[in-house]
Amino acid sequence: MTNQTKSQFIAVASITSELSAVMVVAKEISLAAANAKAIAFRAGDKAKGFQPITDFINELAKETIELVTNINIYALVLYRLTVDEFQKTAAYNKFELATKMAGDATYAKSMQEPVNQAKLSMQDCQRQFKRDVSQLLGQLEAVMHHARAARVIAANSRIEASQAGEYLQSLQAVAESVDKAAHTIHDNVQRCRIALSIYRNS
Amino acid sequence: MKMTKIYEGSHQWIMFGRDEGKPNNIIDTNQYVVRTPNRCLLLDPGGAELFAPMMAAVLHHAPVDQITDLFASHQDPDVISSLGLWDQALTNAKLHAPAIWEGFLRHYSCESIEYVPIPDNGGTIKLESVELQLIPAHYLHSSGNFHVYDPQAKILMTGDVGAAIEGPDTPVFVDNFAAHVEKMRFWHQRWMPSNQAKRVWIERVRNLDIDILAPQHGRMFKGDDVKRFLDWFDALQVGIAV
Ligand SMILES: [Fe+2]
Ligand SMILES: [Fe+2]
Repeated sequence: MTNQTKSQFIAVASITSELSAVMVVAKEISLAAANAKAIAFRAGDKAKGFQPITDFINELAKETIELVTNINIYALVLYRLTVDEFQKTAAYNKFELATKMAGDATYAKSMQEPVNQAKLSMQDCQRQFKRDVSQLLGQLEAVMHHARAARVIAANSRIEASQAGEYLQSLQAVAESVDKAAHTIHDNVQRCRIALSIYRNS
Repeated sequence: MKMTKIYEGSHQWIMFGRDEGKPNNIIDTNQYVVRTPNRCLLLDPGGAELFAPMMAAVLHHAPVDQITDLFASHQDPDVISSLGLWDQALTNAKLHAPAIWEGFLRHYSCESIEYVPIPDNGGTIKLESVELQLIPAHYLHSSGNFHVYDPQAKILMTGDVGAAIEGPDTPVFVDNFAAHVEKMRFWHQRWMPSNQAKRVWIERVRNLDIDILAPQHGRMFKGDDVKRFLDWFDALQVGIAV
């Protein structure tokens, strides 16, 4: 296996692992939202500004989970493509070797067609991989966008929490956990993007 | 790769083996090719390691697009782990292999090649005017196992039956049966699991007119040595590892 293939396998595998961490954190946000909703309900008028925020956080968490689920399916496609490319490359190399070994055999030339075909399908795989990586990078960008939005909401929540009297502390804790989660998502997704960006369609 | 023509008539049989470029840690195998005017059948085409030298050797006898048929006597890697590579090289080919191994052999990748499952009671492979018989040899050693008999050439290709492990540069035919026996004994006792299967197979094969018995490892048996082998095998107790 060449180093190029190895790092491609690793890059694809790392997406899955980073994303499973994102999934856990997104579920945490969703939990924080439910928690905040309960507190805001108890706080009544004092947390009036907080209630729509909790709905928004919940919505955001749900969308992130959905996006990540889709991206995971994509990552599986990328994995299959990597396996495919690995096999096609191995075949191409063996065909070339066979042609070389055949030397001036009567029918040596008939190998040219399979060699050409193998080369084409190997290049096809490489192109498709690049194309799919570009699309995946787009989806990862969407998740990052969500994470950034969550941080803005967390900042707003902090302001709203300051009006909530005795509920100040618990609502601030909610804002804090949303912020932390969004931060983690942002970092993980960023790592995915860096791992993949060298394969991007240029 | 050494090539030996073992039959020349309306069609040809060629034995390929004793590959000098083979890594030392993989078992040496014999591959057989049946060549008709426009088609070519590879019997037990070999492991993935052997693909390139085997393909190169076949190109001395047939162009790639005339390799229309492959046969796998059973599922072992030394028999057919090259399948995934043939699958990408051949555009219009069939693999004749035991029906019960289909789901397993497809792990090697068999997309463009058509898998033709051989039912337990055997069948035939038609190659232009040549008709080859697929003789059941189950449990010798694999649970789904076939040999190929060519009534015209009087050749029986026997897979792992009749095999012997020998050094490189070994002659392709047995020349001293008595001396050869010791090279086969442990192999047959250890690899062949069933005395009953052996008895049934010998009974079946004794009815065939055989000039050459052609195993997948070691040397081929010719003339009287065929009968000598069957008698020796008949008397041997197998399945000794339990
Ligand atoms: Fe075997
Ligand atoms: Fe074998």
